[in-house]
Order: sequence, then C-alpha cells, then structure tokens
Amino acid sequence: MTTALTTPDSSLQAPRAGTDLLRIVRINEEIKQVVAVSFKINIMALNAIFLAKRAGTTALGFGVLSNELRAFSQDLRTCMETLSGLIHEGVDEVSLMLQDLRFNRLLREAAELAPQSRASAVLDNRDTAFGRREEHLAAVRRQLRRALDDTFRMVELGGVLAKSAKIEAAYGQGFAGALAQVSGEFDGIVEEIRTSLESLRRSAFFTG
Amino acid sequence: MKTTRTIFQQGNHKWVAIVRDPKRPGYLVDTNEYLVTHGGEGMLLDPGGSEIFPAVFSALSAEFDPSALTAIFASHQDPDICSSLALWLEFNPGLRCYVSWLWESFIPHFGGNAQTFVALPDAGQEIPLAGLPLQAVPAHYLHSSGNFNLYDKTAKILFSGDIGAALLPPGEDRLYVEDFASHIGHAEGFHRRWMGSNEAKRRWCERVSRLEIEQLCPQHGAIYRGADVQRFINWFDELPVGIVND
Repeated sequence: MTTALTTPDSSLQAPRAGTDLLRIVRINEEIKQVVAVSFKINIMALNAIFLAKRAGTTALGFGVLSNELRAFSQDLRTCMETLSGLIHEGVDEVSLMLQDLRFNRLLREAAELAPQSRASAVLDNRDTAFGRREEHLAAVRRQLRRALDDTFRMVELGGVLAKSAKIEAAYGQGFAGALAQVSGEFDGIVEEIRTSLESLRRSAFFTG
Repeated sequence: MKTTRTIFQQGNHKWVAIVRDPKRPGYLVDTNEYLVTHGGEGMLLDPGGSEIFPAVFSALSAEFDPSALTAIFASHQDPDICSSLALWLEFNPGLRCYVSWLWESFIPHFGGNAQTFVALPDAGQEIPLAGLPLQAVPAHYLHSSGNFNLYDKTAKILFSGDIGAALLPPGEDRLYVEDFASHIGHAEGFHRRWMGSNEAKRRWCERVSRLEIEQLCPQHGAIYRGADVQRFINWFDELPVGIVND
C-alpha cells in the first residue's frame, strides 16, 4: 500500500480545516471592526490637534500628546493593513485546503477501488502539494500571531498616551472640558481595540 | 463500484457503458457514463459528478488506462454531467473537453483552463478520436439550452444525454430496455418536465430519424436498441413537453 493510501487521514483533516476556516473568518470579521474603529481614531487625533492649537499655550502638554496620538493612529492603520493582508492570505489558504481535501478524498476512494491504477501516484503528488499548503498556513498563522502581538503592544502604548492626554486636559483651563471629552473618547476607543485584540490573541486558531 | 458492459466492439473500436453502482447513495441520481475507445485513445462521454468519480474511475480503470483519455464530451453543463472534470484532468492535464459554446465559460467552474475546452458551434461538428469520426449532433433545449448528442456512424450508436433518460425504481437495473411499454412509464414524467421546447423536440426527432441508429444510449436509465430506438423517437415526437402544472 502506498503512503497516499495511508497518510494523511483526510477524514480528520477535513473537519479541522473546516473549523480553521470558521475561526479565521471570525478573526477576519473582528479585524474588520477594529479597522473601522482605527479609522475613527485617525479623525479623532486630527481633531485633538486642532483643539490643542486653538487652546494655544494653555494646552501645550496636550498639544504634544495629540501629535503623538496622531502618529499612533497612523501606525495603527499600517498595522491593520498588515493584519488584513495576512488574514486574507489565511482565508485563501484554508479554503484551497478544503477544496484539496475534497478532491483528495475522492481520489483516495478511487485509489482504493482501483489499486493498480495511477490514482495512488496522483494522490502522492497531491498530498505533497497539500503538505506545502499546510506549511504555508502554519507560517501565515505564526506571522498573524506576531502581527497581532505587535499591534497589541502598540495599542497598549496608545492607551498610555490617551491616559496622559486625559491628565493634560485637566490643565487646559477654559478648554479643559473639550480636551477632557476628546481624550476620554480616545481612551475609550483605544480600550475597545485593546479588548478586541486581546480576544483575538486567545482565538483557538492560534492555540489549536 | 460501477460495472462496465461492452456494448459495441470492432477491432480496437469499442463502446463501454459504465453503469449501476450498488453502493451509490440514494440521494444521488443514477447516471450512465460511456467510454469510446479507438486506436489507443479514449473519449469519456458525460463523465459524471465528482461524488461518483471513485466508482466511475475504478470501473473505467479496469477497461482502459485513464491517462490515455484524450477527450471528454459533455452533453451539457449540469453537475451530474461533468463536475468531476477537475479529477479526470489530474490524469491527463492535456485532455480536451468538448462542450456547447454556451457553456464554455461556465464549465471551467468545475475545473480546466483556457486550453481544456473546445467550444462546439450550435450546428455541431465532427469530433475525431484517433481517426474515428464522431459527430456532435445538436439537441438544444433538450433539456439544456446548449445541448449535444454524440453519434458514431460506424458503431451506429447515438449517445443521447438526457433524451431517453428514465428514472428507474430500485431493483430495475437492466442495461437494455426489455419491455418498451413498461419502461417508458419511467421516462414520461422526466421528459414532460425536463424537455423545454416542443419545436426543438420535433427538430431533434426529424434529425435523428435520418441517422442509422442501432443503440440509443441515454445518461440515465436503460439503453434502447433495435426497434425500440424508433419506438422511442415516435413516442417522444408525440409527447407534449415544456408544461408545468403549477
């Protein structure tokens, strides 16, 4: 019996790939939401800069932080682009694997029914190609996990900036109320992103 | 596993019917596949759906090297006709698939690339198999809007796709129609509903009546032979089709 007929066990791989697809689709949906919120942050950071300029010397510290928040929002956008690219690569790979698994299952049945035919050789080639796909998916999974970790660390830094902006807002005299509102909203949204990323890092897609 | 039955042989020119899989799940419609071989090359007619590929492949392998299949003839675009295409291409990526021009860009959803498909014009055309002339015969709207039969004038066989098809009850698995009157009862509902045009049906009946046919081979059910061929054509000619009682 050839290796094609004995390994890998497609009856186990198919549900695993199906579950992977569901998980990665959920991650994709979550990331899409985070991307939308990140876009909001960009606008908010811009507003904070305008507000700090209007407040002038009464909000110098807030002005410095608002520039940092603007830089943070731009970095966050870059991170989100990386995450989106990786997640699309993962979805593509898992869906191709599901298609391969179906074809391989049918070829395996054919090889069992016609052991003298070339079906086993064809299956061997397909199994090798499938192995390459699995390796690629594992690499995408690792890259995605690293990208999520990097983004998470950056968002934590964003949280620190937002909290510092809240403190600086208190020194804004006549602008204190408006500055507190902007920095409070900023902090709230950064916290929302942080929570989402934390939950994504715990996804069974990474932990198995 | 399906069984193979040689229905014509003259030297290396052969027609093999691949029929009746006892292990076929009841939710899949039963199909007949036909292998035509000549001069070491093979053409598979309506190779079937992907779920029945293992059964068809193993039966075919017992008769013929699947790598030597050079062509697939797809009577039309349905999944039970050719959704297994990608799997057959694994054995010969250079295999050509003959299909109505209408489906040339639809069937690639099952597999293949730009080089795989040979688009048949509405009037049909000759399809050579290692020097054997086979003829694609128009059968449009019966049932598909781009539909062909395949005629082998040497073997006097017409592969008729869904025309002549019968949905046989469990246990009735004869290769040939033995009792036309009782058999046609299993074909009537199918033809009334699946065949879309009385005009197209009339043209088909006139066209195939001019051919010398000893066996009329549908994609579902039993094969008509001898006098039953003309009996079927006459019956079909009289049958009103394209009507739904909704």
